[in-house]
Amino acid sequence: MTTPVLAVEGLDVEFPSYGEAPVRALHGLDLSIGEQEIVGLVGESGSGKTTLARAIMQLVPPPGRISQGSVSFEGRDLSKLDEEQLRTLRGRAMSMVIANPRSELNPLLTVGQQIGNILKYHTGCKGRELRERVIEMLKEVRIPDPERRYDAFPHELSGGMAQRVVMAIALICNPRLVISDDATSGLDVTVQAQVLELLKRLAERHRTAMLFITRDIGITAHFCDRVAIIYGGEIMEIATRARFFANPMHPYSVLLLAAFSHNPKLRSYWLKEGEAAAEARPAETGCPFAPRCVRVREHCRSVHPELRELEAGHHVRCHFPVERRA
Amino acid sequence: MRLLSYLGQRLLFVAPQLVGILFVSFLLVKLIPGDPAVLMLGPFATPDGLARLRTELGLDRTVVEQFLIYLGNVVQGDLGTSWQTTMPVTSDLAQRFPATLELVTLGLLVALAIGLPLGVAGARYKRGLLRTGADYYGLLAGALPDFWLGLVLIYVFYTMLGWAPAPLGRIDFAVIPPEPVTGALLIDSLIAGNWEAFRSAAGHLVLPVLTLGLINAGPILKMTQATTERMLDSDFSRYAELCGLPRKVVVAQALRNALPSVITIVSVLYGFLLGGAVLVEIVFSWGGAGQYAVQGVLNADLNPVLGFVLYSAVLSLFIYLIVDLLYFLIDPRTR
Ligand SMILES: Nc1ncnc2c1ncn2[C@@H]1O[C@H](COP(=O)(O)OP(=O)(O)O)[C@@H](O)[C@H]1O
Ligand code: SF4
Ligand SMILES: [Mg+2]
Repeated sequence: MTTPVLAVEGLDVEFPSYGEAPVRALHGLDLSIGEQEIVGLVGESGSGKTTLARAIMQLVPPPGRISQGSVSFEGRDLSKLDEEQLRTLRGRAMSMVIANPRSELNPLLTVGQQIGNILKYHTGCKGRELRERVIEMLKEVRIPDPERRYDAFPHELSGGMAQRVVMAIALICNPRLVISDDATSGLDVTVQAQVLELLKRLAERHRTAMLFITRDIGITAHFCDRVAIIYGGEIMEIATRARFFANPMHPYSVLLLAAFSHNPKLRSYWLKEGEAAAEARPAETGCPFAPRCVRVREHCRSVHPELRELEAGHHVRCHFPVERRA
Repeated sequence: MRLLSYLGQRLLFVAPQLVGILFVSFLLVKLIPGDPAVLMLGPFATPDGLARLRTELGLDRTVVEQFLIYLGNVVQGDLGTSWQTTMPVTSDLAQRFPATLELVTLGLLVALAIGLPLGVAGARYKRGLLRTGADYYGLLAGALPDFWLGLVLIYVFYTMLGWAPAPLGRIDFAVIPPEPVTGALLIDSLIAGNWEAFRSAAGHLVLPVLTLGLINAGPILKMTQATTERMLDSDFSRYAELCGLPRKVVVAQALRNALPSVITIVSVLYGFLLGGAVLVEIVFSWGGAGQYAVQGVLNADLNPVLGFVLYSAVLSLFIYLIVDLLYFLIDPRTR
């Protein structure tokens, strides 16, 4: 087997909290992404998605820290690299598409400067060539009138435009891995569809692998080669898209999918959790999902389930996985 | 376009603003105890003489009347005379205001040269010797009175080491000063090509400028550090870091975003120091505008005080205008 682009193994990330035990945002997280593969990572907010993205980039916001496990990029253990080596990877070999780009772009720099800076400081490209390549990239992300937009400032852009600028920034150095973190969540539904379509096409064109983070499981159905479900900082289920949607096995996955179901009985069974249950925090011992699980049994509350491969390429973290109905 | 209409609005308000400032100062000055007539005529004045002088000075009219008369003269370029110097206030200030301006401008440049790099370095390295040093410096500069530092510098560099000239004005008595053009000795001696005067004036500037610079670097340092640090913690800096921009570039961008605050504090200090540098002026016998105004207050010599207020107000308005222009340049959102 070839080395994967990204291999996360047994990753723990902790945020120390004052006078209490540290908050464990990620726990024993394993995830690998192959060349040009698109992996969807789905979970509700607070489940650790952004923390994973930042841990992969080796930029967990302090005082948070990676307390265990490793992140390897193209076979290189990132914890062994120094800050300068990491910097040359970030934005160049692995890059991020962020949400709310209008607040993340520098308000004082033009679109052209912000995209150009990435190219300039990673490749040394400058002058006329720099400008041409940036404009080329603006065309590629379908920004109308790129010559004019080159000199626009972030506050002059619509949300969709800003999102495209951020995509241009992420892709201009032809990265091997793009991490898209909730990138379309702030956009109108129609704009969202366009941007997603574009993102997928760009990933193909630039032959880049992608970790596609979202809260919306529906999006992954069109978008991803594999789907991973995260809850309470742990992977609950991971499978190829076809297997996952044909045969979701984790109760949480089924809960997420049931929200889309037209069968009212099915819906009410899986969604019967009340407000209180939906608010419940992941359990510290036993199965983290136990407080919200409709299938919970005594065993679940005391014994932490392992991620098991129940069929080829289909891993589930549950003592009592959902059986395929005949 | 927005810039032009903004400038137009700004200029439209200059005159009313100035009249307002003058009126308030006029009232305040009238509140100062002390009868100018008594002070002018001295202990042997007769009641008759006093009454005549009061009428002559218009002191028997209402304050509003007095103000209107004063205003009418100001509009014609007449700021009255100082009974202490017996000179027109305009000619007194023509000499003294540039002296203060030269001192304060250079002092703030030195303050910037110290405070800006230290502030940026402090923001960049949140821990370490440099940051600790910067913090202590900020504390110390905030706590020391400027005139005291001036005295210490005089003691060390004039009395002990003899490196600095005597703290007695802007230029050696033996040196012929250049023909006044701008009033700033450095510039005027350059214009005149008078090197001896330039050297002497520069030598006299060193200690008072250093005094103002060292003290006022404190607030500039604090503001630069706090704002740059906030910018480094903000979304766009974290994003720049995620994009792998070199740390140097990230810090430079943060500083650029912090510049409006730095400009603001410098402009505030500038306006303040026009009068606020008076103790330093006294320590160095500078003969500046602040000293002139304080003498006026102490001796119920009102015209110099009002003249000083007017000049300072005009200059401050001008500075704030420049500050706004700089904001325009720096921040596209204001355009
Ligand atoms: N800066 C932080 N300080 C403290 N705790 C944090 C911080 N960032 C994240 N966490 C913790 O990590 C958990 C996961 O957060 P995050 O990765 O942002 O989730 P998501 O992106 O899935 O919404 C949060 O519930 C919180 O407990
Ligand atoms: S282990 Fe138990 S509680 Fe956890 S998801 Fe499976 S059935 Fe539910
Ligand atoms: Mg998030």
